[in-house]
Amino acid sequence: MTEPSALRLRDLTVSVGERLILDGVSLEVGRGEFVCLVGPNGGGKTTLLKAALGLVAPGAGAVEVLGRLPAEARRRVGYLPQRKAWSPGFPATAGELVLANLYGAWPWRVGGLARERARDVLGQVGAAHLVDEPLAGLSGGEVQRVFLARALVIDPPLLLLDEPTAGVDARGRGEFLALLAGLAGREDRSVVLVTHHLAAVRQLADRVAWLDGRLLAWGPPGEVVEGREGDPAFHAQDHDRPALCEED
Amino acid sequence: MDFLAEPLAHGFMRRALVAAMVLGGTGALLGVLVVQRGLAFLSDGLAHATFGGLALGLLLGTTAEGALWVALPFTVAVALAIGAVRRRARLSGDVATGVLFSFAFALGVLFLGLRPPREAVSVEGLLFGSILAISPSVLAAVLLVAAVAGGTLWLTWSRLAYATFDPELAELSGVRVARLEGVFLALTAVVVVVGVKTVGVILVGAFIVIPAATATLLGRSLATIGLLAAGLGVFGSAVGLLASYHLDVASGAAVIVTLAAVFFLTLVLRRR
Repeated sequence: MTEPSALRLRDLTVSVGERLILDGVSLEVGRGEFVCLVGPNGGGKTTLLKAALGLVAPGAGAVEVLGRLPAEARRRVGYLPQRKAWSPGFPATAGELVLANLYGAWPWRVGGLARERARDVLGQVGAAHLVDEPLAGLSGGEVQRVFLARALVIDPPLLLLDEPTAGVDARGRGEFLALLAGLAGREDRSVVLVTHHLAAVRQLADRVAWLDGRLLAWGPPGEVVEGREGDPAFHAQDHDRPALCEED
Repeated sequence: MDFLAEPLAHGFMRRALVAAMVLGGTGALLGVLVVQRGLAFLSDGLAHATFGGLALGLLLGTTAEGALWVALPFTVAVALAIGAVRRRARLSGDVATGVLFSFAFALGVLFLGLRPPREAVSVEGLLFGSILAISPSVLAAVLLVAAVAGGTLWLTWSRLAYATFDPELAELSGVRVARLEGVFLALTAVVVVVGVKTVGVILVGAFIVIPAATATLLGRSLATIGLLAAGLGVFGSAVGLLASYHLDVASGAAVIVTLAAVFFLTLVLRRR
């Protein structure tokens, strides 16, 4: 019996109030596949991820995650949100945040074994040294690494990453994308990355979805991105950069 | 020794001390989550809603003491309505609280006006409470509410904390955020109601917010802050109440002034 797709959308339509955000989007992300979602702001990329997480309900169509309904599959999906809602006044450390996702509850205290577990996962994203650090004191790039570790701690078969390099400087962005490249190519993990960085698309994606309310293009990066390199959907500084390593 | 022995020779002082310490600890622990959620106004709002509940009890013919048992469900209902309005209208907590508490307070004024003039009601007594006049039955209610609130907080603290950090991420990690939100609002409501019976509508918010704010200045983790806040709430309430006896000043105000003094002292020393 073949494994179900990591993510399958059939004629997905989502509206918020009177506004149609996604209009009849169909696509399928296979196991081990790395897919980039690109397109202009307001094109429905984040909404697509939230529909996959069961945080927004489809007006029409269907969403299937790892062969199940989105709400049923949540604990097997790693998610890195674009907008971090936490208040800087909340006394959270990186280790506590990572463990909270593992336990489904905020830890009373971080003891020896739990701390080692958090350190190991933070180590996968080059942030083991941050385990006891308060989140409020971290740089934008460090926060993104900690949130990526938070997503990875449940060893999810599907990772949904919403603009993980937003607010990160060019050097940090290059390092972060190199980190994502390490996540690519694993047969047991699919990744859906929302990005405005052409370099990320070229380096990481097996397939690319161009969204602007509707799915305007869907296929290998060469086909989808070709002729669109100067599109405002991509950050200007990326237009002439062929690969991530040049950013380092 | 006289500082303790003399006041504790009186039964009313023993009851007041137990009520103040229990409420101080429970309110402060709950206050940590109230402060972290940016809902400091919630406890004041629910205190004003409690006035509406007490007035409804009097309208229904209860005694001033018995009105507590009407105010409890009434204030819980207002608290849950605040949560529902917040979600449905996507309003901030303070706006939803502002709408609901003034509505409940106005209802209270109407209820008192509609009440047949059987016996005089001290509106001042409703607004300011009187911890020294606390009866054994009200003390029992305070202890019951504190036990329920403390036990529920103990069981739900980790999930409430996660939902306080980020409700969406907590939901994705399996926390039933909407249900917990209802539990949190109901807990705040019942603690506020028994607080109103002791220190009154005007001062009860301070019981919840000030020790939590002080502990937030000192603690590094949420659990530490919770324990510190509970300790400060118990300590400040006891010292304030005993001081009020010896200085012959209003007890509720003395407790709040003590809690506030600890806060300002902490703020100044911490800056150094």
